[in-house]
Amino acid sequence: MDQSHIRNFCIIAHIDHGKSTLADRLLEYTGTISKREMAEQVLDQMDLEREKGITIKAQAVRMRYTAKDGKDYELNLIDTPGHVDFSYEVSRSLAACEGALLVVDATQGIEAQTLANLYLAVEADLAIIPVINKIDLPSAEPEKVAKEIEDVIGLPGEEVVLASAKEGIGTQDILEAVVRQVPPPRGSTSNTLRALVFDSKYDAYKGVIAYVRVMDGTISRNDRIRMMQTESTTDVLEVGYFSPTLVAVNQLTAGEVGYIATGWKTVKDCQVGDTVTLSAAPATEPLAGYRPAKPMVYAGIFPIEGDDYPLLRDALDRLKLNDASLVYEPESSVALGFGFRCGFLGLLHMEIIQERLEREYGLDILMTAPSVEYRITRTNGETLFIHNPAELPPPTEIEQIEEPMMDISIFTPARYIGTIMDLVASHRGVFRDMKYIEEDRVHLTYRMPLGEMIVDFYDQLKSRTQGYASLDYTFADYEPSKLVKLDILVNGQSVDALSMMIHQDKAQSQGRALTERLKELIPRQLFEVPIQAAIGSHIIARETVKAMRKNVLAKCYGGDITRKRKLLEKQKEGKKRMKRVGSVEIPQEAFMAILSLGGE
Amino acid sequence: MNIEEPERQETLLDTISLYLHIPFCHAKCHYCDFNSYAGMLGLREQYVAALLDEIALAGERTRLPDGSPRRCRTIFFGGGTPSLLTAEQVAAILAASRAAFALDAEAEITLEANPGTLEYGHLDELYAAGVNRLSMGAQSFDAGLLRWMGRIHTPAEIETAFAAGRAAGFEQINLDFIYALPGQSLATWRETLTKAIALAPDHLSLYSLIVEEGTPLNTWVQQGRVRPADEDTAADMYELAEQMLADAGYGHYEISNWARAGHECQHNLTYWHNLPYLGLGAGAHGWYGAHRYSEARPIRDYIARVRETVRSAKTGDQTTALPALPAAAVVEDEAISHTLEMSETAFVGLRLSEGIDRRAFAARFGQDFEQVFGPRLTAVRAAGLLDESATHVRLSERGRLLGNEVFTCLLLEDEEAGATA
Repeated sequence: MDQSHIRNFCIIAHIDHGKSTLADRLLEYTGTISKREMAEQVLDQMDLEREKGITIKAQAVRMRYTAKDGKDYELNLIDTPGHVDFSYEVSRSLAACEGALLVVDATQGIEAQTLANLYLAVEADLAIIPVINKIDLPSAEPEKVAKEIEDVIGLPGEEVVLASAKEGIGTQDILEAVVRQVPPPRGSTSNTLRALVFDSKYDAYKGVIAYVRVMDGTISRNDRIRMMQTESTTDVLEVGYFSPTLVAVNQLTAGEVGYIATGWKTVKDCQVGDTVTLSAAPATEPLAGYRPAKPMVYAGIFPIEGDDYPLLRDALDRLKLNDASLVYEPESSVALGFGFRCGFLGLLHMEIIQERLEREYGLDILMTAPSVEYRITRTNGETLFIHNPAELPPPTEIEQIEEPMMDISIFTPARYIGTIMDLVASHRGVFRDMKYIEEDRVHLTYRMPLGEMIVDFYDQLKSRTQGYASLDYTFADYEPSKLVKLDILVNGQSVDALSMMIHQDKAQSQGRALTERLKELIPRQLFEVPIQAAIGSHIIARETVKAMRKNVLAKCYGGDITRKRKLLEKQKEGKKRMKRVGSVEIPQEAFMAILSLGGE
Repeated sequence: MNIEEPERQETLLDTISLYLHIPFCHAKCHYCDFNSYAGMLGLREQYVAALLDEIALAGERTRLPDGSPRRCRTIFFGGGTPSLLTAEQVAAILAASRAAFALDAEAEITLEANPGTLEYGHLDELYAAGVNRLSMGAQSFDAGLLRWMGRIHTPAEIETAFAAGRAAGFEQINLDFIYALPGQSLATWRETLTKAIALAPDHLSLYSLIVEEGTPLNTWVQQGRVRPADEDTAADMYELAEQMLADAGYGHYEISNWARAGHECQHNLTYWHNLPYLGLGAGAHGWYGAHRYSEARPIRDYIARVRETVRSAKTGDQTTALPALPAAAVVEDEAISHTLEMSETAFVGLRLSEGIDRRAFAARFGQDFEQVFGPRLTAVRAAGLLDESATHVRLSERGRLLGNEVFTCLLLEDEEAGATA
């Protein structure tokens, strides 16, 4: 199709502000999909996505729309991930578009995540169409939200489209606004091919399917292509677009959004942000903005049963086929045996991987408390990165430890400022700025160590503000910090999987809190079990799990031996679910104890 | 201690004990999850009639190969509240049992009694009917705790009932007590034990309170209205009882049971030696012919099933060719493998202070205890939970309170034992 009749756009929205429902209405209205075919929300295809109400993988769908001007348009809607862990993926999706719908809930107003993604969109020069959704709700305040949009973003209130995706109100207005306000793509079909990969997934029949936006040139079936970053090459098996199922076509030309079936076995060959070009006539410059996936959070994953190690490895290998941002390497723990040290984009990503391993692969796994990556300068001048406290060199060899710092942004009703200030201070956050965006809403910014954020910060923020505050963060820099390694000794034996990096000012209190918590979590054993927290050889806290005194069934009524046996079998099963460290049986929760220490 | 001598356990495998369940109660206690029902006394006659039929049928089905009735060593009326039966009913049941089995002349015949339901005359009659052992659910000498448990009797009634039992001629009386009750202090427990010892019963059973699912007590615990006693308090109470009863001359022959020498409960020893017993009556459990089974729990259901089985047995229209089990209202039936029987014999046997007789175990199973279980006992041996000699394996003093730690090691998976065999 003529480029002037193509519109590529995405939707930016906070969780629960109605992005998926709105997308459904657009697909229905344009006849791309009938109501009958509509699974509840077509675009979110993974079960986990449905459950969590978020988009993890980006999707793209092509719609045909006859506008009021009588002309036919090709509208490509690119659905973007909605979580801060995936902001790089978001930026690549945005780079594939010329416009964005900014969807704001008429009862809630702008949230931190929305704003963060909106800034990304503005940076990418996208035309922004504000949509106020859920205007049918009794508590809707569209005028107030419109004013907020005007104040915060500078988009004039009169350009706002009022809608209710649930009731189907405003659907046509949105489509007309897309046609009118989103500029058609530029780029010449005669240039050498450059196509931006904004997502990829593995398909058992077609190999890796790259989701692309063609920026320049044309790509056809059987072309030999080359990825400009990973330098992988392949022959194109098929090109096509999403409707929303795959529809093969002969070629995709500049301005179009679609897919390339590559035949590759793993998405590693085809990473988000990479540029597709032709092997025979390669482009000189790749598209800007590529960044290799960079994990922010690390944790050990161990099979509960040592025999499951090969199964765990296979499962990670398979997840990796579809998730280039998942990294892992074998890890051997004295306490937990063989497992993997895994790197994740963030906590949500970590949680998703954990759940998929458990649900899709049926594995019983144990995850250690998450850690970040520290930069260590040795006394000999050498620097190294460690993401496992167990790898920290001896203190005498350390010149300096630096930790990753984040710029965080919080939107909150003004009444919670005090409680947030306290929370941030207890997490070593440093205040940067505070802006009133309206009488009762404040935008706070801080600089905070990532290591403090990954423990319980988000949960605490949500609970202390009754869920009203929203959070966004970006990596700022590495900064030197007075960190120490806190070791936990159980029955005199250091348990590597319980070691953690901690600021020295908090070591004493955290050491005490952690030993107290572990005392509650570790059941009484046949002998007394001391639990100690130590920094180096210095013990800073100690608790004792007393020896078990009584565990015996009293009666055997009327000779009901079967019931007795079943109770014993239950006790035996319970023991199996624990990890044996030395001669002490430690339940799984103990390894995550650090996460449940609560506030100060 | 030679409880079972001179008879060898293995020769007793051909005999049975008889457990008869009487599911009626005046009121249901708050902690009780036994198969018992309040307000159903109207069904008593029909129930006894069914039980008589079932006893006769069980006798038929357990005859020895030469057609003679099987030897029965003990009878135990458990409940519920068996003392709610009339003396005539008890006499009829015992007559039926004598007709169906070869009952030992000296057989121990126990009847459980609630101190709140006993009368003088009644006790005389029960004794005359052949009952020779009474087991009274005393539970506590603390009036407040008795009320809290939902018991229908008072502390004074325990003493009256006990005296009445003696007066009626009973030379064997057991008292049951419960400890580790919420709010119970060590001092209250000591007082209860002192009063119990003062009565000089022949046998004492002390049970640590268990919060069972489906009881009002469990609901209270879930709601946080009641906090169960902690492990240390329960252990302190147990150790206090051990001390006081030893001082008073009682032998501690099983984890929860104490007796004057020669007054150990023969019926309960059947369980601990893992010897066969027939459970008859609603919800009763039995262990016979390599099967463990249990009977229908609801009273009406039990009666109906017995009637149906008896009718089919008479008319000969049996759905199954051979009745596998002696009981008439079986709803659950589990075949017990050789391996499982070894595990069960081991863990019930260790409950006895005499422990497991290595020779008897080897004679029964053709395998050595040490060979089968030895490798699994390293940790509990190291923790000092076992006390072993050339002839016996026992729980140590500490091991008694931590029996489950040892017992769980004795649960074999079938293939493992197969490998050892």
